[in-house]
Amino acid sequence: MFTRRSFAIAALATGLLAAPAFAADTFPDKSIDYIIPFGPGGESDVAARMQQPFFQKKFGQDLVISYKAGGGGAVGWSELNSLTGDGYTVMGINLPHVILQPAQKKVGYETDDLVTVYWFQFTPNAIVVPADSQFKTLKDLIDYAKENPARVTMAGTGKGTANQLAAVEFDSLAGVKTTYVPFKGTGAAMTALLGHQVMAEWGYTTVGASQGDKVRLLAVAMDKRHPLFPDTPTFNELGLDIAGGAYRGVAVPKSVPEEKRRQLSDMFGKINSDPDFRKKMEDAGFALIDVPYSEMKTFMDKQKSRDIKAAKEAGILE
Amino acid sequence: MPGLANFLDALTPLNFSFALFGVAVGTIIGAIPGLTATMAVAVLVPLTFTLHPASALILLGAIYTGAIYGGAYSAILLNTPGTPSAIATTFDGYPMAKRGDGDLAITLACLASVIGGLVGAVCLLLLAPPLSTVALIFGPVEYFWLAIFGLSLIAALSEGNIAKGLAGGALGLLLSTVGVAEVSADVRLTFGFHVLLGGIEIVAGLIGLYCIPVLIDLAASPERHLKIEDEPRGFRLYDAMRVLFGNKLNVARSSIIGTIVGILPGAGGSVAGLVSYSEARRTARPDQKFGHGEPGGIIASESANNATVGGGLIPTLVLGIPGTPPDAIILGALLVQGVHIGPTLFASQGAIVYTFIWGLFLATILMLPVGLLIGRYAYKSILNVPKPLLIAGVAFMTIIGTYAIRNNASDVAIMVVLGLAGWILARFRFAVSPIVLGLILGPIAEQGFVQGWTIGTAVGNVPAMFFGRPLSLAIIAFTLLSILWPIYRARQHRRSTGAVATSVENAPAVRRGDMDWGSAIISVALICLASVAINDARGYTDIDSVVFPVAVSIALIIFSLAVLARSLLGYGSEKEVDEGSFPRRAILVVSMLACALLLESLGFIVCSIALFAILTFVGMHERWTARTAILYAITGLVIVVGFTWLFRSVLGVPLPVTNL
Repeated sequence: MFTRRSFAIAALATGLLAAPAFAADTFPDKSIDYIIPFGPGGESDVAARMQQPFFQKKFGQDLVISYKAGGGGAVGWSELNSLTGDGYTVMGINLPHVILQPAQKKVGYETDDLVTVYWFQFTPNAIVVPADSQFKTLKDLIDYAKENPARVTMAGTGKGTANQLAAVEFDSLAGVKTTYVPFKGTGAAMTALLGHQVMAEWGYTTVGASQGDKVRLLAVAMDKRHPLFPDTPTFNELGLDIAGGAYRGVAVPKSVPEEKRRQLSDMFGKINSDPDFRKKMEDAGFALIDVPYSEMKTFMDKQKSRDIKAAKEAGILE
Repeated sequence: MPGLANFLDALTPLNFSFALFGVAVGTIIGAIPGLTATMAVAVLVPLTFTLHPASALILLGAIYTGAIYGGAYSAILLNTPGTPSAIATTFDGYPMAKRGDGDLAITLACLASVIGGLVGAVCLLLLAPPLSTVALIFGPVEYFWLAIFGLSLIAALSEGNIAKGLAGGALGLLLSTVGVAEVSADVRLTFGFHVLLGGIEIVAGLIGLYCIPVLIDLAASPERHLKIEDEPRGFRLYDAMRVLFGNKLNVARSSIIGTIVGILPGAGGSVAGLVSYSEARRTARPDQKFGHGEPGGIIASESANNATVGGGLIPTLVLGIPGTPPDAIILGALLVQGVHIGPTLFASQGAIVYTFIWGLFLATILMLPVGLLIGRYAYKSILNVPKPLLIAGVAFMTIIGTYAIRNNASDVAIMVVLGLAGWILARFRFAVSPIVLGLILGPIAEQGFVQGWTIGTAVGNVPAMFFGRPLSLAIIAFTLLSILWPIYRARQHRRSTGAVATSVENAPAVRRGDMDWGSAIISVALICLASVAINDARGYTDIDSVVFPVAVSIALIIFSLAVLARSLLGYGSEKEVDEGSFPRRAILVVSMLACALLLESLGFIVCSIALFAILTFVGMHERWTARTAILYAITGLVIVVGFTWLFRSVLGVPLPVTNL
């Protein structure tokens, strides 16, 4: 016989058991704020904009993009952990930025304090030259650089960035000396390349995708060739062990519970596995990767030791 | 004419209403300091996912063009550029409004914006591919010299005190280096404060330096903000047309300058306005007094900045290189749509592109009636709103607007502090505009210099890099011309008018007064600041981040020493006469600062309502009655709650909520 009390207990128990399941079913039940720690129009913004419609379609809620630019992303990341931890605020996160910035100087956050839930894509480094450049292959560039030390000027995005790291790695592996010219963002570096202000550019495959036959990619820093550029060799094929680029993912404030972290990780994973999404991203020159929350620690440890080692060799870090 | 077939596509009722709506909303957004065209366009990007691409683009383009024009309202009526593009509009617009010609100034701004916008759009339609090469021939060194050209305006903006103007310019340049260096990754001049990592946001700096001093002085005295007109004069369209006709060369030149500068990805509307203002001033007739309410100044700035809309889209659509920040967002939206930008765009996606360009024409033309109407309304509101509400309302808008730029409460605090500094400096005749110029042009100059130097070193010939390129030489020539021409002309003028006068009378009137302690103390403070900056630079790891701040600090020390010498000798010591109430000024600054610091902990609504209430009392110079008290309280609540809702829900600004 059910007494009133046992009924209440049963109801409470059911409620308690059902509550997490219920929450899992309905998260998200309102729009999610997606903060990009850079200005609008950059690769991070474009990637987020690409995700926006797919998120809406799959989960029935809006992904509201806002910007908190400054300090090469440091302003946003230094405030990430003070944001509300209900899972409805997420922030874009980039590598090697979050590894190199705290290692170089005090920027208000530590790499290990940031909770990344998913790495979804990366833009592989690539050496880009104008279509009419004298360098037809990477060998041409290396030969020229050997004969004319420091004369090859190469534009890139900022310093302490994926581009600069690749430039330093390239110089030491190829045994040459090139001149790295830092620009503010990919757009400015690309403009300098197209205007022949520099001889080559450390860019990303996205540059090749957006500029079409006006530029030529000499090599890409990937393990395999990019589907969009089947004729462009990887550095590995040419005997230089350079692979990497800028990685992008989403992070959440530390206070977000494990359950929600996993859910968000799954959600971004689902967007990444959508064939339409994959096609759009690859057409724009992005390369997709899938590092879910469960594999985060292994991935980050590997990246950290690699980037720190490269930065030390490059003399960016002491 | 290319794409004529798409003209009718642009005229569908949907596109027409988008253009109309976009221009109206854009104008209002542009008029609010802190809300920029970039942000307005960014907020609306999700709409492009569901709409037809051309219609969505027309909406974005219309908002963009409206916002660039709307920036003129606050520039003219509040001395605060609503968007950075309207900086040069303040130089003559605010003096015009002060003397009671605000209505004429706004109508002129509208006409000039429409013409400039049309010139930019025509260039986009007809000359886009050839003109896009301008974006490419401009190298780092040319950007460096362009920044120097912009800085040459300091001479004109120093209000008769060159040494102080130069010191202010150097201070602005130094302030522009605060934070993580854009291209060299060193952390500069943050003194361990994380809030300074992102540097001084330009728009926050503009609002602080231009608007806060106006507010401080408004609060102090019971006088009206603007001179009221004797009788309603309507739009003054006839007067405006006459002035415009007298400035036809100015309009043409400024529109072309605006288009060209718009094409340059490293510049933008603010630089366009400054360059054409400088050129207008250089070629001025003797009766035109730029800086003292000369309508030609507004015409130059406004036609140039709206021309950058069409100009900026040229490299965006042809090269895939955004000409201005809003273009970067439009480019991103197109990418998401799968529209591939580049040389083939006009051929492969002609229907979308040409419909968009015609839509831009439509929006620009609609800006005439819409702009005149909203302008008239804005003018009347600022003119007639009771002073307490004006002060509280404008202060509230500066706070919400500054917060919205980067969703950052520390920007608000920086804004108020800069405003107080600007007010103090202005009292001792350090003009604010040179500081702003330095803040805006600093990054362009530094990056251009470092890149030019690096490339020059690689090539093995630094001097040839900076002085051997034809385009650089042309910009240098223009810079020298705009500095030396006014001096030469003044001399000519003096010679022709003063032939009978003796040489003693010919000498510039130098009056020696008492020792100017205020200026002396400020110059000593500036020297200390420069020394701190030089010391800070010793900790930078990258030589690229050292050169510029050290050079600027040395310049700051030299100019400050000049100011110090002059002030101790008593030259140029005439001060603003101190009028008005000190407590009211102090309460205004302190309460705004407190509001900025408490935003995160108390929540936005609570802080804003408290601030509004305090400032209504501060701004009240008459007797309170029950009626005004109730009226003001209700108005205040409506403004604060309404705008907070608008910003949070419609614009998606994550304003802090109360977490008590």
